[in-house]
Amino acid sequence: MTTDLGTASENLATADTARRTRDRGSRRTWRGRDYGLVILAAPAVVLLLVFAYGPMAGLVVAFQDFNVADGVFGSPWAGLENFEFFFTSGNAGRIMWNTLFLNVLFLAATLGAGILLALMLNEIRGRVTKRFFQSVIFVPYFVSPIVVSIFLQAFLAGPGGRGGLVNDLLSMFTLPEPSWYTTPGPWPWILTVVKVWQLGGYMSVIFLAAITAIPEEVYEAGVIDGASRAQMALRITTPLLKPTAAILLVLGVGRIFYGDFGTIYAIIGDNGTLFATTDVIDTYVFRALRTFGDFGTTAAIGLFQSVVGFVLVVIATLVQRRYARETSIL
Amino acid sequence: MAQLINGAALSRTVSRRSFLAGTGGILAAATLAACAPGSGGSSGSAGAKTYRLLLPGDVPAQWDRISAAVNSKLKADLGFEFNPEFINWKNYASQSLLKFTAREDFQTALSARWLNIAQLIESGALQPLDDALESDKYPNLKASVDQSAFDANRWPDGSIYGIPAVNSAARIHHIVARGDLIDKHAPGGIETFDQLEKFWYDVVQKEGIPGYVKSNSVFDVLGAPTGTLYAQGWESPDFLPLYFSSDSLMFVPSRQAAATGSTDAVPFWEYEPYLESLHRIRKYYEDGIINADRLNADPATIKAQFDGGGAATCWGITDGLDTSGHLDQLEKAVPGATLVSLLPFRDGLAAKPNQTFQADNLVVVNAAAADAEAALQLLDWVSIQENHDLLQYGEEGTDWKAVGDDAYEPVGEYTNFPGYALSWRIPLERKFSRMSESEASWFEWSKDYENFTLDPFASFIPDLTEIEKEHAQITAAIAEFGNPLWAGAVDVAEGLDKLKKAVDRAGLAKVQEELNKQADAYLASQ
Repeated sequence: MTTDLGTASENLATADTARRTRDRGSRRTWRGRDYGLVILAAPAVVLLLVFAYGPMAGLVVAFQDFNVADGVFGSPWAGLENFEFFFTSGNAGRIMWNTLFLNVLFLAATLGAGILLALMLNEIRGRVTKRFFQSVIFVPYFVSPIVVSIFLQAFLAGPGGRGGLVNDLLSMFTLPEPSWYTTPGPWPWILTVVKVWQLGGYMSVIFLAAITAIPEEVYEAGVIDGASRAQMALRITTPLLKPTAAILLVLGVGRIFYGDFGTIYAIIGDNGTLFATTDVIDTYVFRALRTFGDFGTTAAIGLFQSVVGFVLVVIATLVQRRYARETSIL
Repeated sequence: MAQLINGAALSRTVSRRSFLAGTGGILAAATLAACAPGSGGSSGSAGAKTYRLLLPGDVPAQWDRISAAVNSKLKADLGFEFNPEFINWKNYASQSLLKFTAREDFQTALSARWLNIAQLIESGALQPLDDALESDKYPNLKASVDQSAFDANRWPDGSIYGIPAVNSAARIHHIVARGDLIDKHAPGGIETFDQLEKFWYDVVQKEGIPGYVKSNSVFDVLGAPTGTLYAQGWESPDFLPLYFSSDSLMFVPSRQAAATGSTDAVPFWEYEPYLESLHRIRKYYEDGIINADRLNADPATIKAQFDGGGAATCWGITDGLDTSGHLDQLEKAVPGATLVSLLPFRDGLAAKPNQTFQADNLVVVNAAAADAEAALQLLDWVSIQENHDLLQYGEEGTDWKAVGDDAYEPVGEYTNFPGYALSWRIPLERKFSRMSESEASWFEWSKDYENFTLDPFASFIPDLTEIEKEHAQITAAIAEFGNPLWAGAVDVAEGLDKLKKAVDRAGLAKVQEELNKQADAYLASQ
């Protein structure tokens, strides 16, 4: 039975790939009747040009001794001097490692939690119950990082920083009560829990949508073969979620060099004792800009971040094409 | 009713092409509308120009009403209106800098050495004000700001780039204490730092609340010249540390610098009282005297904690806002509570702390402003008592009423206008009518230049040009290893060791040499 189900999911993926190949192959020429599509795309294209491509001109600041009064076009050139600050600071290695490590943790944990929650939601039979739980787990997505940081302070630090609810709980079991906000070790895991809480529901909705697109016949075949619901979830649903997971993974890898500034800065702020495990490129750049006001240096770090991010996307796509061609989106 | 419905019309299908064209058209129109000029701005009443300015903090309650009243008077007097943009304190430094960078059209902003005035001046983003101040065009402004305040705030190039917006000659960091708790635990009063320390310990033990709460600050620990937790500063407030920027490394100059001409500044850890202060903070942290969340707590949380009766003392500065800033809220939380301003100088009111008289707040004029003259006209206009009062305290009768010649009693909801970013003028400020006796006494004392000693490095502003990269890296090291020391959150020996290694690697030797070179040159020029 396992082989049959596996074959069914592979056949679906193969058919999908074949359809996409066919579409790519059929060259379409411009026809007047497509003007509606052009108009529909125009606002998005304009927005992309104005807010994504236009500002790229500002990257020249990374190579300038930027001067507020002279602006982008009048400031003198500085070569690669601006890049020196970051790479000679002695912090570059640690910050890049933190950025990558935290993002890998976030990506893996939120994808995993999203799939798990989607599978669980899919097994709920009652429509009202399902909708209720779906809404409940989606709500944290809308909670501001500032509010999350206040929650976390109440849980971990409490009023005046002398111990929150977590320490109260630990004390009930006579366990050691750490000073969370001065102990950097646990923070990658604390932040990961926060990210899962924030994004687990959001991810699960995407996977749930993918699950609803799975043809009913596949499950009927599983039922005929005597598969239990758990087996169908594991052997049918999970493999068929691979393309969606792959897309989210590539998108996630594309941003893997971008620290989650909103959440991390709201929670960690300027707490230097936690920088060892939580300082990421974005928080470092923000602090640099805020304290030094040096746009050239911060633009240089941002440019480096973008280039490495781009390289990682290309690598992820190539790896995906090589090893998981049927789920590749590019 | 069914017959009234045109079934044919309802069943008519919209073609795919029409749907796409229609939707696309609507989106395109919306995009164009969003990009249209003026969609994000505001306009004044008909016929009057409206000038923007940047102010830090939140929009005061009842601002729309006060703003309308101010604009009505402004329009009648000067022919234009103003439209301040309030920027949250947390983002003020970076956002105001970005707005200067983008050459946005605003007239004035708050700046200072602790913000980014050095960079703005170096970049030519600020309008020099010397010619304007030498002219006779702005008599009210010149009459309300002492010439010595202007002179103390001249940049090394000799120019004046900002109007000092202060309400006292010197702002001395000190302690705002619960008077009711002092009556209970220190009935003899508090006059020395030792008595203050004993009071803190008594409060922690007997009341179960922290002795002192504040968000993290280097000046609490390494005073300049006083710091709330810096014992030595209350004994002999006779020197100020030197630094390239206040968030970077503090250096201690030789006490004989003025006499010998040799600064010989050393990093702060080589000065024994500072080292002792670090150990004291660590002990306070471990003993629960200070709040343990100094590294993370924001000022609003700390204020709420104190105002809610959750601490015995908090931070204050001699700007006349100790009582007005806390008393109403505190009384609601703790009926019968009172406030006392504590400056436990060994020599009391006879202490003559060193001061530079450099203003903490300067109102600067944007060189890219469309009309810099209008900016100065506004600064002159708010220097007239009637206009100053309207902006600062609101409409008389509705928001406040005069008490005596120089005090006011708030009766409405309008509070917290950031006058320090526009309209603070020593002779025009009114005292809060319920100002505590101790605060009134110290506030008056702080207004008199004669009560302070001019520091030998009073107008020394070091130039960062030669050591920009090293300074930036040292500042990053201070953020990581210095801030936890100021909070008492790490062991002093271990924390200092990490800090020293980080600043050595960042180029301490070069920065120290440059500071001494510039300071020696400054002394030679005096």
